[in-house]
Amino acid sequence: MSHPATAISSVKLAWALSWAAFWTGFPFKVIVALLLLAAQVHPWEGTGLITLLMVSAPIDIWALGLTARTFFLERMGIEVRGPVGIGLWWQGAVLGAGMLGVAYYAVGTTAALCKKAAEATLGVVKKVIPIPVAEQITIELLMWAVPATIVLIMCLLIWLKLFGWRIKRFVVASGQTSSAGLQERVREWDAWRVPADSVLMLISFTAVAVLLTVAFWVLLPVTTPHRHPDYPPPQADAVKKKVKPEELLKKTEGTLAKAEAVLGSLEEEKAKEKKGKPKGK
Amino acid sequence: MNALLQKVYDFVDERIDLKTLEAKMMKEPIKGGSRWAYVFGSVLLFIFIMQAVTGVLLMFYYIPSADHAYASTQFIIHEVDYGWFILSYHFWGSSAMVVMVFAHMSQVFLWGAYKTPREMIWLVGLALFGIVMAFGFTGYLLPWDQRAYWATTVGVEIMDKTPVVGDFLARFLKGGPTPGQMTLSRFFVIHVMVLPGALMGLAGLHLFLFRSAGPAGPFRGTPEELKAKTDFFFPRQVWKDIVAMAAVFLTICSLALIEPVVLLEEAKPDPGDYHPEPEWYFLFLFQLLRWKIFAGEFGQFLGATAIPAAFMLLLAALPFIDRSPERNIFKRPIALLSWTVVMIGILVLTVSAIINREFLD
Amino acid sequence: MASAQPKIKSKVRCLDGEVGEIVHVIADPISLEISHIVVRANGTQRQVPASAIAAVRDDSVELLCNAAQIAGYPEHKPDDFLTSKQVEIPHLENKVHVEPGDLLVPFPVLEKSCPRRNFFAGFIHVIGALIALPLAWPVLRFITKPMYAPYDNHWIKIGNVSKIKTEDVGVQYIFKKAFTDSVLQREEDKNHWVIKATPEVLKKIYKHGDISFTDEKGEVIWVNKQTVPYVAFAGKCPHLGCGYKWRSHKTLGQVFLCPCHLSIYDNTGKVLDGPAPRPLDVLPIKVSATGDIEIIDVEYKAGKSELVRIA
Repeated sequence: MSHPATAISSVKLAWALSWAAFWTGFPFKVIVALLLLAAQVHPWEGTGLITLLMVSAPIDIWALGLTARTFFLERMGIEVRGPVGIGLWWQGAVLGAGMLGVAYYAVGTTAALCKKAAEATLGVVKKVIPIPVAEQITIELLMWAVPATIVLIMCLLIWLKLFGWRIKRFVVASGQTSSAGLQERVREWDAWRVPADSVLMLISFTAVAVLLTVAFWVLLPVTTPHRHPDYPPPQADAVKKKVKPEELLKKTEGTLAKAEAVLGSLEEEKAKEKKGKPKGK
Repeated sequence: MNALLQKVYDFVDERIDLKTLEAKMMKEPIKGGSRWAYVFGSVLLFIFIMQAVTGVLLMFYYIPSADHAYASTQFIIHEVDYGWFILSYHFWGSSAMVVMVFAHMSQVFLWGAYKTPREMIWLVGLALFGIVMAFGFTGYLLPWDQRAYWATTVGVEIMDKTPVVGDFLARFLKGGPTPGQMTLSRFFVIHVMVLPGALMGLAGLHLFLFRSAGPAGPFRGTPEELKAKTDFFFPRQVWKDIVAMAAVFLTICSLALIEPVVLLEEAKPDPGDYHPEPEWYFLFLFQLLRWKIFAGEFGQFLGATAIPAAFMLLLAALPFIDRSPERNIFKRPIALLSWTVVMIGILVLTVSAIINREFLD
Repeated sequence: MASAQPKIKSKVRCLDGEVGEIVHVIADPISLEISHIVVRANGTQRQVPASAIAAVRDDSVELLCNAAQIAGYPEHKPDDFLTSKQVEIPHLENKVHVEPGDLLVPFPVLEKSCPRRNFFAGFIHVIGALIALPLAWPVLRFITKPMYAPYDNHWIKIGNVSKIKTEDVGVQYIFKKAFTDSVLQREEDKNHWVIKATPEVLKKIYKHGDISFTDEKGEVIWVNKQTVPYVAFAGKCPHLGCGYKWRSHKTLGQVFLCPCHLSIYDNTGKVLDGPAPRPLDVLPIKVSATGDIEIIDVEYKAGKSELVRIA
């Protein structure tokens, strides 16, 4: 009897696993990325990228383990004992790193070559038929992007093929056919998604999330990190005057003293006037 | 505490039969089980609610007047605490909405979920698609900067060329022959009152129809398999929905942090150094109109009116043309091919529009 | 199909005679057709598949088996089923009618475990709260931003003392106040009342000594000296913020009278009658050598017996 793993194509197998694992890990990685961004660190370069990759590795191992075990049990009826996630992840990662390098080179070269070829071809064609700018852009884009995309897809397929082949070897080596019926198998992989102590899990998850939220509040800038070059508009400045209480008090006390003096002299004058002509009243 | 809650629950239950309502809302067996592929509709609802929340918040400070719209938007960005973040969230939320609409429509299309008996859900969904696009178009004007003003001017000019109704439609939107305060007032009221009302009503209808006709379920699998994996809408599907919502929420927050809204200069009748361009999800159509075959009055009609209208009509007629009950996308080559061509077309034209910017500087 | 559906309490006949009656009908949630009937025979409930039904009549159902074979069908387990009222299966109740009683549908196996349901339900609430939580603080700050604006302590010229012809009489000063109102540069007509007080009236106003004014930190920004005969009363009634007037009263003579709730104050600001909780509010005032009056437009919360500065 042939092994159930041989019934499925390597590419499909690797695709199903990595696609599901990618999305399983995605929300966790976004949380990390968001915190980095709130701290004004770019997660796509330098320390930000290193931090993100470091955090991503365990997330991916867990996600790949969960999705792989599910897939094996549900689709193939195979139970795999031992650490599935790490066993598959390192193979995928090594193959992926290698393929990423190859793809970077292959796609880059294809794009560059096709760009040159497209330019040359269009240069010749333009001498015969005039091509307007908008059409030229799209034609040129298609002429280099289509081959580059095909090369990229080829690289992806090769990676999937290789990874799928490794996955199959892994399943054949360490998997055992499950004797349970379909319903029982579905129940089983469903149960993997629920932790043994779910209350503890919920509480710790909540605690971590509340901590992260507080970190987010602390890190998030109150005013925009990207100010408009012309803000504030010039006339708005004139209206705002800073009031310094002490200075103002001293100043006004001086004015007040002067005013009192003036008032005093006025009253004196008035009194003099009264005295001067008492009979006139 | 629990006893009190129970009393409140019993009080309500006695009057409106809450238990049955709850059972009907939550305990919907999902054949083949809950799936991540089913989250798009719920995520759209979530994005809309968040747009409503952030939109209402922005209205606390926004002034819909041609004299103050720009200044008040700048005020939100620069003076109000976290105003920049809430505005940027609203801005990126609109993009997320469009992306999710495309994802949702694609999923329904690829799953063959528009077929009998779900044609009406599909039709209402198309109307909702139009409303989402209208939201993007009307909201774009409100900051009243150069980008806003010129995108709207061009957009309304395109509408103006629609045969028969174009002139009326353009005047209706502008509130006159040229853009000004009336235009802003109209765009504002359409954006904050008319469209939200329409969307809420139609989304409610969409959901009602969906619940009445029932979900389509997976397009393959034996009845035994479907039965074995069956679970209820609550909690497993809701759990998937809410995790997806959280992921979308975090993504929008990230985008708001990476690329916060920075306005251009205040709108003025001279575009200056700015090259007018619509929001990115209209770019493909914008770029299409630069092609020679869409030049001239007839070309304009063809590119701006006839082709989009024909496309929308085709989508509307889809469940009535495609009557085969086959739902598996891998057994519907024409459907798969057309979807791929449309998606690649949109992608290529959008990228072309971005490359085209270099030729303008 | 609808015309020939098994009914609850229908008699069940096997090839060799009546065995019992139908107690439940079970539907398939996917095909929306009857999958089983539950037959009560000899005190047990047996689940008989629809395929074993030969014919459905008005008040009876005929089976393809004989009475002895009934016992071979599995016993009905009520816990494995739900009534169609407890779940939402579109079109099911239109296609399958069961009267009188409930139509049963299978209880999904995945939904039977309570801990698992509770875990997912718990997580839904936690994540829902966690979407709201990160926004809570920014949104609160966003909304409250203009609510606690700093006090406006700048001096505003409101007129000249030459307008006052008689001592101890309220004189209204209407002036333009320019200020920044969100993004708007606005100018508003405001009014305050100034009296030129005779020494005895002045004594009553300053019965607790000089009046000092403070900013939000509690630092003194100005002191009204009791030697200055000019006193400014804020034009806002300390009761509920209406605008009051200088009027003659039948018994009380010349008074400040608020038309809203008939609070009456004398020329020292003291409450003579009405609901006002405190005297009229005195404003920081200075009079220049040329007689120009300047005030700080201090505003206190109305309706309080003590002074609570709000602007």
